[in-house]
Amino acid sequence: MSRNLIELLTRFDAGAGAPTALDVLKQAVDDHGEVTDDDRRRAAELSGLPEATVHGVSTYYDDLTQPRGARHVRVCTGTACWAASGSDAHVAAAVAALGVGLGCRSDDGALSLGETVCLGFCHTAPAFRDGETVDAGPGALDRIVAGHALPAVEPEWESTLAEPVLIRPGDFSGLRQALAGLTPEQLLAEVQGATLRGRGGAGFPAGQKWSFVARNPAPPAEKFIVVNGDEGDPGSYIDKYLMEQNPALLLEGMALAGFAVGAARGFIYCRSEYPRSKPALEAAIARAVSAGELGENILGSGFSFHVEVREGAGSYVVGEETALLASLQGLRGVVSARPPFPAERGYHGKPTVVNNVETLCNVPFIARHGAAAYCELSPGATPGSKLICLNERFVRPGVYEVRFGTPLREICERLGGGLKDGAPIKALQIGGPLGGILPGSLLDTAFDFAALAAEGCMLGHGGIVAFDDATDMRALARHLLRFGAHESCGKCFPCRVGLTRALELVEADAPVDRGRLEELLETLEVASLCAHGGGMPAPIRSLIRHWPAELGVA
Amino acid sequence: MSTPGVKLTMDGAELEVAPGTTLLEAARAAGLWIPTLCFDDRLAPFGACRICLVGVEGAKGPVASCTTEARAGMVVETQHALSRRIARNVVELVLSELPVPPAPHTELAQVAQRLGLDPTAGPAAARWAGVTHEPQLDHRHPYLALQHELCISCGRCVRACDEVQGAFALTAVGRGFHANIAAGLGAGFAESSCVSCGACADTCPTDAISERLLFDLAAAPDHRGAAR
Repeated sequence: MSRNLIELLTRFDAGAGAPTALDVLKQAVDDHGEVTDDDRRRAAELSGLPEATVHGVSTYYDDLTQPRGARHVRVCTGTACWAASGSDAHVAAAVAALGVGLGCRSDDGALSLGETVCLGFCHTAPAFRDGETVDAGPGALDRIVAGHALPAVEPEWESTLAEPVLIRPGDFSGLRQALAGLTPEQLLAEVQGATLRGRGGAGFPAGQKWSFVARNPAPPAEKFIVVNGDEGDPGSYIDKYLMEQNPALLLEGMALAGFAVGAARGFIYCRSEYPRSKPALEAAIARAVSAGELGENILGSGFSFHVEVREGAGSYVVGEETALLASLQGLRGVVSARPPFPAERGYHGKPTVVNNVETLCNVPFIARHGAAAYCELSPGATPGSKLICLNERFVRPGVYEVRFGTPLREICERLGGGLKDGAPIKALQIGGPLGGILPGSLLDTAFDFAALAAEGCMLGHGGIVAFDDATDMRALARHLLRFGAHESCGKCFPCRVGLTRALELVEADAPVDRGRLEELLETLEVASLCAHGGGMPAPIRSLIRHWPAELGVA
Repeated sequence: MSTPGVKLTMDGAELEVAPGTTLLEAARAAGLWIPTLCFDDRLAPFGACRICLVGVEGAKGPVASCTTEARAGMVVETQHALSRRIARNVVELVLSELPVPPAPHTELAQVAQRLGLDPTAGPAAARWAGVTHEPQLDHRHPYLALQHELCISCGRCVRACDEVQGAFALTAVGRGFHANIAAGLGAGFAESSCVSCGACADTCPTDAISERLLFDLAAAPDHRGAAR
């Protein structure tokens, strides 16, 4: 991230509440369907960024680059929607029924069809979006074609714990207790003692991140809590559930983080693919502020904490923390090399905690019950509990709170009820597109960091996508690498070129040279700047290992 | 009173460097060669090309030397076999994206050669050959020519314009394989805040941006016309 640009932004924004360039550009698309040079000049003027920089922003995000007609329909090309038929049949059906090509606008400008990943309605795939309405599941396309889209049903949620940590409506009781009885140092010590691991995928200890910011002597106005709500993993709708159905729990966790590290301001970065998140979060903020649970002098404690919501514009890599910070400030959502880490130079170049939504939702429990009680939740496994979500193939898809270490068989068979029509589970992709693929024969693997890593898989963010026995694994490789290549931010060379080359290898109508593919995957793993290029090889490695013949490697 | 230095071992030799020194800076000061493409010592490290990999004892894998600071007791191997093989693979990928081989005097061609690749072989010779960038020549500025198809997105021009000149006339555009650069709002240097300082052309490792005088001498006549 350019220090000069951050300096320009920070000076320009000082006290004035300037909009970000990205917000201005998004508004332009909503207003007249595309970004014009006049919009770019205006965004530059309002944000304090140079015109060229704004031009770069306008070419980065899917929401800004796809042509839009008066009516804009989007089709989800996430992995759960793909798994529903084992193909992109729903995409072809949408193109045929609407008479507009994917990524195109009709000649009269009335209708456009775009691609989006992922709408988070993986429990009732395939999903489509008509304007602000997401419709999904059986009959959705017919309704959209008829111009009568219905809002899709939200998923069911359920906890397997006697006292849920995450599936419990937030009530600010943990914050009340902490403000009344704990010093910031004591709260930090509890979170560190709980060994709360980040739930966004990397599993980094949250308490350690907090401690870096806590010991920075900057005043509260110059420290920030940034919530990573950019749940881009196709097949995941965990943070969507939390942000839309339980936003108070997240706000409580944020305020606790602010209290522990001495920060007075927080941002939630949510996704444009989840049109209901920002309104739900803003309504919850308004409720909390009017109840005195957020804002100035919270509950009379003297501690103040303000929260603002910002929305992305379509980019998977923005889920990486440095890219997220760039996007939060309205820049291109590309990855920056660390150091410096956000804890040192984050939002506006100031010390910043970046935590995933679910990570922060664990904190109210820790504040209420302490580290010891938290550590007892999953005996012999990672402390705490985890939300998982199951895709449409399952009999009972939905969001479940489980103990770490729960066998996948229990998750898939007891909670999920197995697959529809009694179909065998051919494989599971766990933890998003960068997660390995576990054959159905290994369902006795425990759902935890180390056990999954031993099978070349990862816990990731906790999304579980099942593939039934009709799935063609070469087609799955094409699906995954198409996503990977499209979403590469383009900054580091191995990912920028390598993912396109990997896609070309599996797209070709020919056997794949195994040695050549493996050396390419190794290059991506070893050299990529972030987990996108470094992680995309994992599912391909699983396919080579378990289904070499189907993948067509020779 | 001087700050105590950081002692580390590099290729078997004991070195002492100032705190904050990167492994790449330490290696260069010791006269050791590490391949780079996105690095320019006038600019802040960027970490994009990923070919400056070195081995560090105890690390999980090769690390990018341009963005890794030297720490006391580090044992570094700049000729680390895995790092070099991966660096060579990355450069092979880069050669595969250009529609034509890079000119022999360019930094890309020289780095490729030094890593044992043949920079004149052309994109089809790469083990991972595939789509290449479409030729697009922007010839509208009186002093600067921009051949988009030669851009490898190293970001050096964008950073030179930002960090050296403070003109902010350039930006990265697009993403993934289609990432490239643009001046101003994409209408070329002449329509941007470019001050014609030439810092971008000077740092470019592929001649994607070059000075017109040199370009006109070298350019093939069939390369003209297209604009971006």
